[in-house]
Amino acid sequence: MIPDWMNRTETEPYHGAASVAKKKSFGKKTIDGALSFFRESLISETFAKRKGLLQSLDPRVKLISMFVLVVGVTFMTSPWVLLVIYLLTLVLAYFSKIEVLWFVKRVWVFIPIFAGVIVIPMLFNVFLAGNVLVPIATLGNGSHLGPIALPSSIYITQQGTIYVVTFILRVAACVSLAILLFLTTKQDLLFKSLRAIRVPKVYVLTISMCYRYIFLLLDTIADLFTARRSRQITSLPTREEQRWVGGRVGYMLVKSLDTSDKVHQAMISRGFDGDVKLMHDNVMHHRDYVAIVTVLACCVILALISRSIISL
Amino acid sequence: METIFDLQNVSHSYLDKFEALKDINLTMTAGEQITIIGANGSGKSTLLLILDALIYATSGEVYAFGNPVTEERFNALEDNEFARYFRTKVGFVFQNPDVQLFSSTVFDEIAFGPLQLGLPREDVVKRTEEVMAMLALSNIRDRAPHTLSGGERKKVCIGSILSINPDVLLLDEPTGGLDPRTQLWLTELLQDLAKAGKTIITATHDMNIVEQISTRSIVFGEDHTIRADCSSTEVMNDQELLLSANLIHEHQHWHGELLHKHPHPSEGEHHHEQVAHHVR
Repeated sequence: MIPDWMNRTETEPYHGAASVAKKKSFGKKTIDGALSFFRESLISETFAKRKGLLQSLDPRVKLISMFVLVVGVTFMTSPWVLLVIYLLTLVLAYFSKIEVLWFVKRVWVFIPIFAGVIVIPMLFNVFLAGNVLVPIATLGNGSHLGPIALPSSIYITQQGTIYVVTFILRVAACVSLAILLFLTTKQDLLFKSLRAIRVPKVYVLTISMCYRYIFLLLDTIADLFTARRSRQITSLPTREEQRWVGGRVGYMLVKSLDTSDKVHQAMISRGFDGDVKLMHDNVMHHRDYVAIVTVLACCVILALISRSIISL
Repeated sequence: METIFDLQNVSHSYLDKFEALKDINLTMTAGEQITIIGANGSGKSTLLLILDALIYATSGEVYAFGNPVTEERFNALEDNEFARYFRTKVGFVFQNPDVQLFSSTVFDEIAFGPLQLGLPREDVVKRTEEVMAMLALSNIRDRAPHTLSGGERKKVCIGSILSINPDVLLLDEPTGGLDPRTQLWLTELLQDLAKAGKTIITATHDMNIVEQISTRSIVFGEDHTIRADCSSTEVMNDQELLLSANLIHEHQHWHGELLHKHPHPSEGEHHHEQVAHHVR
């Protein structure tokens, strides 16, 4: 039954030296990425279960409040008011039993990527004219960068700096509010609370199912990479690894389509006829009304201060 | 006894190419406990999908509760009274829990069926709570499906069907991947449901549970036809039938100086009663 070559076993002890990899392979990075998503979601779940200020509020109140605040922040032009709102998010994080330093780090990971790169050029007089704050270089008249005409001197402007600081504070405040909402609300309740802002039921169901199946697909991806690593004897060039990943992307697409068919069958089997019915267990308490009125009032007052319609 | 399913000359093929069922004739009546047994790929799961009106016969006729089961009747856009009646009467526990557990939490999963039936909210909550208590799931009511163990997932799958209170339960490989303790729990649950008068139709190739959960067995051959349809005891005693359906194989192994030769199911315990000894 067993072919001859399978009857041979190596009994010689290993004499080679183990080498230490200097950097992670493409596959290892993918597994780590998938696992970090699981880790992050588990951390978020533990925050949502803590007995803190935001956790005690109705998810619909939190969603609407955060939505109002984010819209309000986009209308605010004063960096000082934006700074106050950002500091307010730190206070909310503290009273919601979230480690403030961890929260700050989590928010500021995104800022340089999404905001900094976009807005940094606005510091310079090349893009936004203004008063000199920090001189950078003197180029002389008639300087060009390819087809683009440059000014005789390049410097950081006061107006540009205020613009950049305002923009970054606005993004920091918005990202902090969004992360606070996600950290302090259980995912299923958060998705259901979307109904409070009139998101159609079918979208609520679809979003919550997407979130649930991300875990399944990530788990499958992590298993695929782990299984491959267990059989990989020598390391492959990055191009080969990328080719393999391309093939697995196709496989995952087919698998996800197959799974969606079966999930649909399972839904039909339990009486689903296209009319989505969801459970709503949330009950509004006094503190929820107080919270939403406070948020609305704060938002209006800060917007008026920011626009210099009222002054302190 | 009321006839629940009546299949006449039913065949099914996928993509008009891959035959899954061939010329199936059978009748199932209320209160029966039936196992559908056969090797991998013999057509057990396809039969269950047809019985649950999730796929349809490519030829032949299927009747459920005296009504023809056709794609036109179940996929019609207008409100279909029979389709709704059918979904309240028949529940299907899928082989893969990940397919069946699509809700965010255990509570939502079990409440999904009663909600679709249009029960009042209080009744949905009451039913869901009672099913969770019955299956000892109350302590994990807010957990997401991906955080559950294999046994817990299977329990939630069964709970999500029992909350609809169907008279007919279809189960596809219910013991697959379960530890022995959960397998035993499941067997006892199915026995209790049988005593309650439920019709239980189980597709399995786990020969150890056949006699425990069914009185009638339908054996599928690898040619996708029915090889036998008789009492479970008769089937389990018919070594030739089980060998021909590839459900057991002639197994031999050494115990010291003795060579044992006996039929062996694909999973589970050895049956040492039928042993041939050879001395090494």
